[in-house]
Amino acid sequence: MGQRQDTHDRRNRGLWIGLALPGAIWLLVLFVAPFYVMLSVAGGGINEFFQTVVPVWNPLHWSSWNLSAVWHDIVGHGAFIGPPAFRTFLYTAIATAITLAIAYPVAYFVSRYGGRRKTLFLVLLIAPFWVSYMMRMLAWIDLLQQGGFFNSALSFFGLPGNTNWLGGKSVTVILGLVYGYIPYVILVLYAFLDRIDQSMLEAARDLGLSRWRTFWHVTIPLSKPAIIAGTFITALPMLGDYFTNQLLSGAPGTTMIGNVIEGQLGAPGETGQGAVLALMLLVVLLIPMTYYVVSTARTSREYA
Amino acid sequence: MSGGHVKLESLTKRFDEVTAVDEISVEIQPGEFFSLLGPSGCGKTTTLRMVAGFEPPTSGQVQLDGIDVGNWPPHRRNVNTVFQSYALFPFLTVAENVAFGMKYKAVPKSERETRVGEALELVQLSGFEKRRPNQLSGGQQQRVALARALVLRPSVLLLDEPLGALDAKLRRTLQVELGALQEHVGITFLYVTHDQEEALTMSDRLAVMNHGKIAQLGTPEEVYNEPADAYVADFLGVSNLMDARVEPGGNGQGECHVRLGDFILKAEAGQLNATGAVKLAIRPERVQLHSYEASGTNRVPGMVERLVFLGSTTQIFLRLANGSALQTLVRNDGVDLPFSQGTPVSVSLPAEALRVLPDPGVSVAEIRDETLGEDLLDVTSTITS
Amino acid sequence: MASTVGQPTVAPSRAEPVVQRQRRLPGGNPWRRPWGMEGFTWLYIIWSILPIAIAILFSFNKGASQATWQGFSTKWYIGKQVTSVLHNPGLHHAVIQTLVLAVLTTVICVPIGVAFAIGIDRWRSRTSNGLNFLMIFSFVIPELLLAVALFLLVTQALTFIRLGTPAEVAALVVWNISWPAIIVRARLVSIGRSYEEAAADLGASRLGAIRRVLIPLLMPAIFASAVLVFASTVDDFVIVEQLSSTANTQPMSVLIYSNVHGGLSGPALNALATIMLVISLVAALIGFIGYRWMSRGERTKGGAEALTGIAGM
Repeated sequence: MGQRQDTHDRRNRGLWIGLALPGAIWLLVLFVAPFYVMLSVAGGGINEFFQTVVPVWNPLHWSSWNLSAVWHDIVGHGAFIGPPAFRTFLYTAIATAITLAIAYPVAYFVSRYGGRRKTLFLVLLIAPFWVSYMMRMLAWIDLLQQGGFFNSALSFFGLPGNTNWLGGKSVTVILGLVYGYIPYVILVLYAFLDRIDQSMLEAARDLGLSRWRTFWHVTIPLSKPAIIAGTFITALPMLGDYFTNQLLSGAPGTTMIGNVIEGQLGAPGETGQGAVLALMLLVVLLIPMTYYVVSTARTSREYA
Repeated sequence: MSGGHVKLESLTKRFDEVTAVDEISVEIQPGEFFSLLGPSGCGKTTTLRMVAGFEPPTSGQVQLDGIDVGNWPPHRRNVNTVFQSYALFPFLTVAENVAFGMKYKAVPKSERETRVGEALELVQLSGFEKRRPNQLSGGQQQRVALARALVLRPSVLLLDEPLGALDAKLRRTLQVELGALQEHVGITFLYVTHDQEEALTMSDRLAVMNHGKIAQLGTPEEVYNEPADAYVADFLGVSNLMDARVEPGGNGQGECHVRLGDFILKAEAGQLNATGAVKLAIRPERVQLHSYEASGTNRVPGMVERLVFLGSTTQIFLRLANGSALQTLVRNDGVDLPFSQGTPVSVSLPAEALRVLPDPGVSVAEIRDETLGEDLLDVTSTITS
Repeated sequence: MASTVGQPTVAPSRAEPVVQRQRRLPGGNPWRRPWGMEGFTWLYIIWSILPIAIAILFSFNKGASQATWQGFSTKWYIGKQVTSVLHNPGLHHAVIQTLVLAVLTTVICVPIGVAFAIGIDRWRSRTSNGLNFLMIFSFVIPELLLAVALFLLVTQALTFIRLGTPAEVAALVVWNISWPAIIVRARLVSIGRSYEEAAADLGASRLGAIRRVLIPLLMPAIFASAVLVFASTVDDFVIVEQLSSTANTQPMSVLIYSNVHGGLSGPALNALATIMLVISLVAALIGFIGYRWMSRGERTKGGAEALTGIAGM
């Protein structure tokens, strides 16, 4: 069909271009151009007197001064960027794994065994999606504070109930990330698992596979794209997260790369280095992001 | 509405490297019920879409009442289409759907309502005005689609497999109704279908298409009784096709001697001046069975392979001594058949019913695959994807 | 349908022993409800909702504690001088700023995104493919990177876009444009071309077919994306934090963030968060009802589909 539509649409090309134009301009000016500015700031210098940024617009005149400064901070003597960077990837990996381990069974159960209560389950699963991230963090701050419900509950069961959970604990930050991003993953997994043709699973059972083998050899391979999508939509934002950690810990021991970038951009004279660091993160993420974008585009083309 | 003369001249459509429609020329008279018949992928729908204006032709002309409209957009052509999916607007009621096009045809507001009423009456759906398409059955939706197109009084009505989504029984009923409707309104109908029964029962004339070309054009009787080639013969209902060779000795006019394995048969229909490899065709209903011992002219020994009870008739699958597969139909008139699986029989192939067809250079099995079209392939592709 | 599970309808001799072995396994009943998974699902649901419910509850606490219930009161919303949402200029300004940003962003973002989706879907060239990629990139890029880049853009280059509301709206539009673009595009693919062709066949011009047929058919998708853009703007934190200028242009999320550790703490923050929640839930409810109403002409749309529809799935 694709070929057929091609010739047909060529007639109205002007109309289609006109419709796409405002969005295209918006994306070019406010999505592509900002990153060029970021490059110019990263390759620029600073005004020594005011400690303000002096961007250099011509790529030929970009200096590597900021880059080498950042490099020194990552690997050099007294490097303070390396540990947060490592920690960011570690936290993200653990949090993503936990998120999927919780989200998959829940989505699987609701899509396959929801039955008549499916709508109720969906309402309950979607509800957190509509509660702002900030409120969900606030709710945990209330619970986890010293003298809060969580510690009271611990003491009730005879456990030590005076832990300062908000004082720089990795566990708190990781569970905060899981709590923050899991509703999106569940919805993505649900939407996908719900579309799996039941008769395919019945066919597997019919051919003699047990429940577990059906799940392992049919359902899991079928839901691979959903698991990949779920991994991306949690891991990518987690890698750039700085507020979860700031809200639930705020201590240097749990600093993530997002906090470093944010801090440097705000510090006088270090904006250029913040820009370099942001670009480095972008370059690292470009590979998984491109993979995701290409596979998304391919799926949508297959449906077309 | 007067007019309704359609002339396609060397009409061609290429999609990149694929030629979907290859230089076809047809003339359709005003008021004619004309069908394009062929398996999916043969180019019939593309032809229809070029007449409707959804595809610009690569070359050639689409003439409507003498004017080449090949590059006109659809909304400027006085033709209307009944889509295979019906494409009824789900957010509009039945009446609003039917009235949709009149807004663009400068029909005065006062007249619109009466015309909607008339159109719905024509398709026997009066009283359904306020319903929405999803509250109608498939057959009713099909009628609304018909009313929506007819209410504009087009000079040509294009129908793209309009009965394709309905079950077999409803299809039979609607075939009859559609034929009667066409006679009543007198509009030219250009009907696209892959169902040979539909094409044969309703059409004044039909064109059998294959690989973007017209394989044969004629009345249903002509095409059915005198298929031009093995492809048409096979596509128009079950036909027995056999590989054979022409033997010298015939006079090239009244009769032709053909060799079928070890047997020489006389054939009196089809391309009698052919030489070399040919295909032989015979309708199942013309094949006669006799007891194995009985002798006569134009007979070949064979064996009953399978009997399939069809109700009023029984279909008998035969294997001839030379290996050709053949089938025949026997009427069930209360008497037990003297054959069962494995019975040797003498198969009579009357010379006047045995048709010599030019050899397309492919085997009988390949022809059969092709006439089944892409439908089978589609099934497999959905399984693998 | 369900009765065929595990029952070979065509039973070749080889399959039979396998089936029998299964039946003999302890607990091998293939129709048993997976209680373990159901329990796990309920635990998840409790874990995901209970903390929020407690936070809402404590916004109605009479005292200032978030851990000890001291009786019902609405004083953190309207009663208390200085520190209630109503009387604290900072707090109620944040509510207004959130609504202003959400409305402006939705009004600008949705039409642009819908037109973009239609244009890209039909244009079909290398350029349109590139733009489509760009749009999906804007969907997956970590928000901080985009926010920082936009901050540099409006402070170093396009200084006529002032920090504060103009920069916030411009940035929120680009951050959210993928909602309408992706959802509408998916819907375009699923409705196919036949409706538009039918409209053209019945005499509608290109634009007429878009206006009278395509837009009504896209309406559920447009509406769902509008609700999503609105809710996601209410929820947004990173972009507005980077691009707000003075306290006057800080919406609720930023205010909560900057006051969690010290400052305006206590139930007033919970009250603010609850107001945010109510705004989002009202949007979701309107979305659900509207989506169902708009897609009423289509047979298969049930409640569950409307739910996932407004969640952008």
